[in-house]
Amino acid sequence: MLARAAIVLLAWIVLATFPQWSGSWDSSRFAAGIIRQVLIFAIFASSLNLLVGYAGLPSLGHAAFFGGGAYAAAIAAQRLGTDELAVSLGAAILGAALLAVVVGFLAVRALGIFFLMLTLALAQMVFAIAFQATDLTGGSNGFSGVHRPVLFGVDFNAANDLYVLVCAAFLLVGLLLWRITSSTYGRALVGVRENERRMRALGYDTRTLKLSAFVIAGASAGIAGALSSYEFRFVSPNDVALGTSVTGFVMVLVGGAGTLLGPILGAAVVLLIERVLPSALPAQTVLGIVFIVFVVFAREGIVGAVRRLARA
Amino acid sequence: MIDVRALRRDFGGIHALAGVDLHVAPGERRAVIGPNGAGKTTLFNVLTGELRASGGTMRLGDTDLGALTTWQRARLGLARMYQRNELFDPLSARENLLLSVTSVRGAYRAFRSPGDGEVAAANVILGRVGLEDRAAVRARALSHGERRQLELALALARRPRVLLLDEPTAGLSPAETERIAALIAGLDRSLTLLIVEHDMDVVFRLADRITVLHEGRAIAEGTPDEIRGDRQVHDVYLGKAVET
Repeated sequence: MLARAAIVLLAWIVLATFPQWSGSWDSSRFAAGIIRQVLIFAIFASSLNLLVGYAGLPSLGHAAFFGGGAYAAAIAAQRLGTDELAVSLGAAILGAALLAVVVGFLAVRALGIFFLMLTLALAQMVFAIAFQATDLTGGSNGFSGVHRPVLFGVDFNAANDLYVLVCAAFLLVGLLLWRITSSTYGRALVGVRENERRMRALGYDTRTLKLSAFVIAGASAGIAGALSSYEFRFVSPNDVALGTSVTGFVMVLVGGAGTLLGPILGAAVVLLIERVLPSALPAQTVLGIVFIVFVVFAREGIVGAVRRLARA
Repeated sequence: MIDVRALRRDFGGIHALAGVDLHVAPGERRAVIGPNGAGKTTLFNVLTGELRASGGTMRLGDTDLGALTTWQRARLGLARMYQRNELFDPLSARENLLLSVTSVRGAYRAFRSPGDGEVAAANVILGRVGLEDRAAVRARALSHGERRQLELALALARRPRVLLLDEPTAGLSPAETERIAALIAGLDRSLTLLIVEHDMDVVFRLADRITVLHEGRAIAEGTPDEIRGDRQVHDVYLGKAVET
């Protein structure tokens, strides 16, 4: 346990200081940008993994909380005329959590495929609102000119400073999910995933349990959304769209649902294919093939496949 | 302890429970027998709240169960051993039991692992059902007999006041049946038992009193000796079960 924590901390320090030790490389700035985006999507995928992998809730509407958080951060900063991190990030967490309470309240009443369809439908409604509330969100043009935040007078405007902020958020959300999934609460979520009927018979209010997981996952996705708005200085309806939900889902499945490392690896694989592959190769086709290979040959994702190899 | 009056459950035009009365005293061990389709499992499903009653009343002690959900009834001390095991297959036997033990204090401990006391309690129950050597084995990898033992342990770990046993020996070999029957016979006498069982040797061994269910009604009730001598019971059920 302690050794593992030390390894994680060491890996994080190496990662967080990447712009410093790679400074002399030609592509250091480009690589740092990719890593920022990987970490942002790793937070998003990890939050979805709490639902898909631990609680057994296959949500296809998770972008609603990612994009909802991004919009909440941008709108709050603009309307309140401040760049304080606490304001925009707080608005993102609160906004995404409230949205998750509403969506989750309806969705956790359904099971399996019906839960999936309900989250999809409700997220499409959020998308429609983002698209049509032009005064608030900029509609189809998106919300441009998002400011990068300030914390205690420290400005995260420069790319390397933003990098540190993203790394810190990634570490905090990662540790939070680590603690939650190994706690009594996380075990209960796994119990719901494996046998909800038995959980009810043991005296667990499984509906409230699922709703609480939905809200934690939604709020965490909101953090990723806020970071995305800082990163791109832009929020668009694409951030709440089905495509983003699907991307998150693919990251979870490719990396390994129900494992902490899986969604992080999945985010890295998917973004590397999308952003780094030579432009001559059709990225979406490659991604599709990778996804099919994992679904057919390694349903437990990268982490599951490596574990299986290690055992054999 | 259990007070059921005129309990009904309809499926379309079929009256699975057509007005059942059942009164079980605290600490009593009551068997419910009857042919297939008599309504035994439906009775359990309605008692636990997994099925809604179409009419009638149910009380557990002083509490009316009618408006309560399954998990609320479990928190009142109603536990159930399912006919078909309802386990957490990928989890070890100990992890299975921890889910039952920790439910007493509830799930909302997001930053704390189960306490030492809870782990110890899970181990005690494992020992009681004879699975102490199998604690680290995944439920999926246990034999059918061991899975029945774990199923019973899950129901017991929450320290219920009333335990519903739905065919505890279903699918077991004679040796395994003996083991489960002995476990049930050795339970604390303060625990009220309601047992559905087809193995008449087990029924006559465990039950203080027997209720015979037929076509959704309780047609007879009495001590094992009284039931054995009841002609009507013989005609609908026992004749077949005992002679074959």
